[in-house]
Amino acid sequence: MQNKIDHFSLLLRDLEAEIGTRDVAELFFNAFIGSINSFKVENFEEFLLAFEELMKILCCTEPRFGILNYHFENLKCIFSKLKFKKGVSSNWKKRIIKEVKNVIKDIRNHSSELLMYAEKLDVEGKTILIHDHSHTVQDVLCHYKSMGKKFRVVIAEQDFDKTHDNIERLYNAKIPFQVVPSYMLSHIHDRIDMLFFGSLTLKNTMNFVMSPGTHGVISEFHFAKIPIYLFIDTDKFSLWNSKKRGDIFIYEHKRQHHRKQIEYERIKYSHDRVPAQLFTKIITNEGIFDFEGIKKLYIAKLNKGC
Amino acid sequence: MVYLTLGIFGVAFVLIVLEFFDKSLVALSGALLMIFLRILTPQQAIEAIEFETILLLLAMMILVNIASKSGIFEWLNVKIASLTRGNPMAIFLFFSLITAVFSAFLDNVTTVILIVPLTIELVKGMGKNPRPYIFAEILFSNIGGSLTLIGDPPNIIIGGAADLNFLSFLLNLWLPVLMVIIFTLFIFIIVFRKEFKSISKNLTELMVANITIRKLKNKFVRTTIHKDFVIKVIFALILTFAGFLMQRHLGLPNFIIAFSSAIILSLFAVKRVHIHEAFQSVEWTTLFFFAGLFIMVAGVENTGILEIISQTVVSSTNNIFLLSLIVLWVSGLVSMILDNIPFVTVMVPVILGIQTHFTGDTTILWWALSLGACLGGNGTLIGASANVVSADLACKNGAKISFIDYFKFAFPVTLGILVICSFYLFIRVG
Repeated sequence: MQNKIDHFSLLLRDLEAEIGTRDVAELFFNAFIGSINSFKVENFEEFLLAFEELMKILCCTEPRFGILNYHFENLKCIFSKLKFKKGVSSNWKKRIIKEVKNVIKDIRNHSSELLMYAEKLDVEGKTILIHDHSHTVQDVLCHYKSMGKKFRVVIAEQDFDKTHDNIERLYNAKIPFQVVPSYMLSHIHDRIDMLFFGSLTLKNTMNFVMSPGTHGVISEFHFAKIPIYLFIDTDKFSLWNSKKRGDIFIYEHKRQHHRKQIEYERIKYSHDRVPAQLFTKIITNEGIFDFEGIKKLYIAKLNKGC
Repeated sequence: MVYLTLGIFGVAFVLIVLEFFDKSLVALSGALLMIFLRILTPQQAIEAIEFETILLLLAMMILVNIASKSGIFEWLNVKIASLTRGNPMAIFLFFSLITAVFSAFLDNVTTVILIVPLTIELVKGMGKNPRPYIFAEILFSNIGGSLTLIGDPPNIIIGGAADLNFLSFLLNLWLPVLMVIIFTLFIFIIVFRKEFKSISKNLTELMVANITIRKLKNKFVRTTIHKDFVIKVIFALILTFAGFLMQRHLGLPNFIIAFSSAIILSLFAVKRVHIHEAFQSVEWTTLFFFAGLFIMVAGVENTGILEIISQTVVSSTNNIFLLSLIVLWVSGLVSMILDNIPFVTVMVPVILGIQTHFTGDTTILWWALSLGACLGGNGTLIGASANVVSADLACKNGAKISFIDYFKFAFPVTLGILVICSFYLFIRVG
């Protein structure tokens, strides 16, 4: 069992780093449909047993993915209420696939609802700083552009791939942008009107789990009293009591000096934990919240059962 | 002078095998030494170079490089991965066969570079041992390469020397290659049946497989595949192979057909791939290795030693089947441990010499040489460039393959393959 958990953890972690949480969720549920189609069992009861085993694994991955657990819990509730006649094998498959497709539809609907709330922010003529490569933030910016709003973006550099992902998306959407190294942001405080961020999840500690480096950028601009906005779907919340742990993954690797024959150890951290208090507003698919508001919403969701 | 020539060639051969220096450097040094020592005149050296072979290789390198940049091969691989739905047996069958098909038309090293990393990522991602799949891809890259004129360098050399065209290779080699494919698949399925066991009754494993396949789509297929570029590449590849097949009717040598396609594709794809980039990607060291080798072999040929070998072989038997068996097994066994390109380059004048002593159809000797040299390379991890590159790729991707591990499986399989080829030669001659 532990091997399976470790394997799933690694797979999901790698994917999250590559494509972001929301896309991981879509990919995961599409993979689930593919798996159900190939799964050869006699009846629905056997499927339920396998589903529960999968759920147990998903509950123990490191990190635990809020959005996957949330939708799996919902599916569990739905599946537990389903009844099928014995021997009619294809009917139950069709039905559960329909339910999984609804989950994918839900994820997409949540994104559209979030965009609707994002419209309430005034970005006309503003300069927006982004740092992570959140697809939610990219979608919001593209949505503003499609609405005909005029604004500029400054991309604070981070990992090469992630920065280039941002550049590619903004370039394709014809959004004007500039790129500035993250360690030079102190020179452009007066040019920035607002900051946009995305997040993997919100923990019960009221910390957002975010891309590495964001804590520094957010702290800096919080200190400069520039509004900071965070965009997150509420189904990404980690609706459980987190264990106190180091819970940041550390990638230790060797690197070569670019000119000399010097090999050195390099350490990279997977995520930052950023206190929710640092954000001016948190824009979700359920509305726009301040710190107190998001805390109430989180607690209400945590206490809500199946 | 004879001993000096043989000495230069022998030392060069050993240095090539031991890889003390780059093999192109060794071949060119040997060739220059033969010219300095007056074994060959500069004029003879130039005449010894089979420019048709070198230009065909050059044109195919340009063509394949531009085609690769379109992302079509990665796209095809990922499509195949999706079709397998994570079924280990399907992964084995589909990827082995696509390796054989790719390597029949691309060079074997390019084929394994395209396929091996993706397979390792897929199979390791599923939590399984990638070794059997890598073994299969090594074997099938050499098997597929033996089918066509352009599939493996020894075939290009043989085709150039014996004036055999693309169609002749296909018509004469499809049957033994098919027999070898069936045999090899059968052995793999028997030996690795546990690894290829179905996962269709395990939802967790199916999930891992399906997630991994989707992950590969993200990693290996670039976000934007330009349809116009892909269409141009497909058009150029079809044009090339149609040209090869109709070579007799066109009355053009293979290298002109390949060059025409490469230049047409370069012109049409000028916005996507700069010609400088295409030329930079040519493996010039390989081409110079060939040039140096042709000169050295001409030097050895001048000594008359190769003619003596031919006469000795012919005087030992006048049975063409037995001769073809000797050629097959000697080239097969030698190719297991030595680079098959220099070996085939030496064997070409030997076989040409043998042919002068026979009145009937002796083309069977060329097929024996081709099958032996291409398939014999499967026997060991150093038997062919594709094997070495695959082992490197496997190591880089965390799946180390040792010489012994590979040898224990591949050597008996290769012996079986050579037995099947012997059977084919028997049918052909009989």
